[in-house]
Amino acid sequence: MHIGGIDFFIVVAYLVAIPVFGVYFKKYVKTEEDYFLAGRMLPWWVISMSIIGTNIGAYDYVGAAGGAYRFGIAQANYEWIGAIPAMVLSAFLFVPYYWKAGVYTVPEFLGKRYNIGVRVIEAILWGTFLACVLGVFFWASGLMLNEYLGIPIEFSIIITAAIVGIYTITGGLAAVAMTDVVQLLVMFIGGIALTILGFWTVGGWSGMVSRIIPAHPDHFKLFLPLSNPTYPWLGMIFGLAFVLSPAWWGCHQAIIQRTLGARSEWDAKAGMLFAAFPKMFIPVLVVLPGLLALSLNPNLVGPDMDKAFPWLIRNLLPTGLAGLAFAAFIAALISSVDSTLNSAATLWTRDIYQRFFVKNASNKHYLKVGRILTFAFVLWGIVFAPVTKKFPGIYVAMQTLLSIFQGPTFAITLLGIYWKRATQWGGLFGLLGGVGISTFLFASFHWSFLYVAWWSFIGAIVINIIVSLLTRPEPIEKLEGLVYGLVMKDKKIQDILSKRAEGGE
Amino acid sequence: MINWLAGIPLLWGKIFAVATFVGVIIWVWFRPKSFIFLGAPDKHKWRDLRIWASILMIIQIIVYLSF
Repeated sequence: MHIGGIDFFIVVAYLVAIPVFGVYFKKYVKTEEDYFLAGRMLPWWVISMSIIGTNIGAYDYVGAAGGAYRFGIAQANYEWIGAIPAMVLSAFLFVPYYWKAGVYTVPEFLGKRYNIGVRVIEAILWGTFLACVLGVFFWASGLMLNEYLGIPIEFSIIITAAIVGIYTITGGLAAVAMTDVVQLLVMFIGGIALTILGFWTVGGWSGMVSRIIPAHPDHFKLFLPLSNPTYPWLGMIFGLAFVLSPAWWGCHQAIIQRTLGARSEWDAKAGMLFAAFPKMFIPVLVVLPGLLALSLNPNLVGPDMDKAFPWLIRNLLPTGLAGLAFAAFIAALISSVDSTLNSAATLWTRDIYQRFFVKNASNKHYLKVGRILTFAFVLWGIVFAPVTKKFPGIYVAMQTLLSIFQGPTFAITLLGIYWKRATQWGGLFGLLGGVGISTFLFASFHWSFLYVAWWSFIGAIVINIIVSLLTRPEPIEKLEGLVYGLVMKDKKIQDILSKRAEGGE
Repeated sequence: MINWLAGIPLLWGKIFAVATFVGVIIWVWFRPKSFIFLGAPDKHKWRDLRIWASILMIIQIIVYLSF
């Protein structure tokens, strides 16, 4: 289906306006800190909207609407119990410590708290994950522009890369965060328009429920039985809410990076916390459309269930609103791509290039390297995107890789901040042991990733504690400013961190 | 792995969920005021992040008790 007329105009105008708006922020970028952390000037409301813009991608629209079509409202657990409590914990447990430490990346924090081994392993895992995800995002954007605007896929990928690349390369995190704010607004306007029209068509909430319940009695239950292979309630609570979700909201570089650019510790905490408010309403944009599609067309089967969202746009929206809904779809995609691009460049510049290749260069040098690496990742995304077509399971594989190390990462970060007796060797072996446990459980038992995450988290905690108790405690001066109970007045922290920076670690 | 747990009623899911939300509310109100307002330009009531967190959790409790 190709859109035309006013819809086409809305989408093209949006695609032109976003880079123009983003490039405006180039004038604020003079140093490496300006580029990667927006000069540590972001207010809480920008942080919160950018976090959600980063979090919600086009895959969420397709996957979540498809999930809701299959399993019902249980899909919303990923946005509610699988996010909101973890965002509160992250705002109070993790964000203040990262912000105080003055780091640019989560691996950098873990490197300070534990050792260079932990930093490198985390940086390579996250760096590889973000780089591969870029290719998947670019391919998805190519498919979308091809499907709706009729532009050839390869050319669509280049258009997306150019749009995102222009303002991400020039304006850094400030441009990414500010464009995310606009994109989130577009996502909400487009999504809410779609949902309202859907309810109007099916006769409101009660109309939708009465159409679905007879054939799908469990579709309005948040918790499904343990026999459900995808959303067993125990896995949703212990695997998702207690491990994967805190790991995502507390340790994911692209999410956390916005809070590191906060203008104050309060803004960092408030930014993460306030993000939970729009997050709570994300099911209105991505889950309800799946249920509305089911009530209007219960005939989608198999993989076609993932087409619930596009089906709704195509069959429900009048001219003008279809363009707006499609712009919302593109906004979700672009706001995830720019953040991934910026975070991948930050990781590779700070944790790899700056640590192993050129240690004590000028600020301008690292700014230049950051921009070059961002450009390199744009090119990488363009080249890698078609590969994802040949390996359709690559996105699932990347998500599996993420779930393999998320539990252990969360475990060592939690112990690193809240247990001063945790040693560098405890952290390293906890991480490696936890990843080993995940890999073993996946390979041997083919468990759901929800259960694997839980047990790898527990395993990493136990290994970290045992190894830490068997090795020499870390000196207090190494832990100051990084560990609960050893946080000092800001000036003293900054003096210590400056000395650490001069020492290259 | 979960066969021996299969008999647990779904109601326990709700109980765990609501307990989690209530636990978070209790936990945030144990955070000292000085920590909550650290870095804030003033101490207006609306800047008290414990209130934000409580509102979030109360909405979640209502949602999980409803569905």
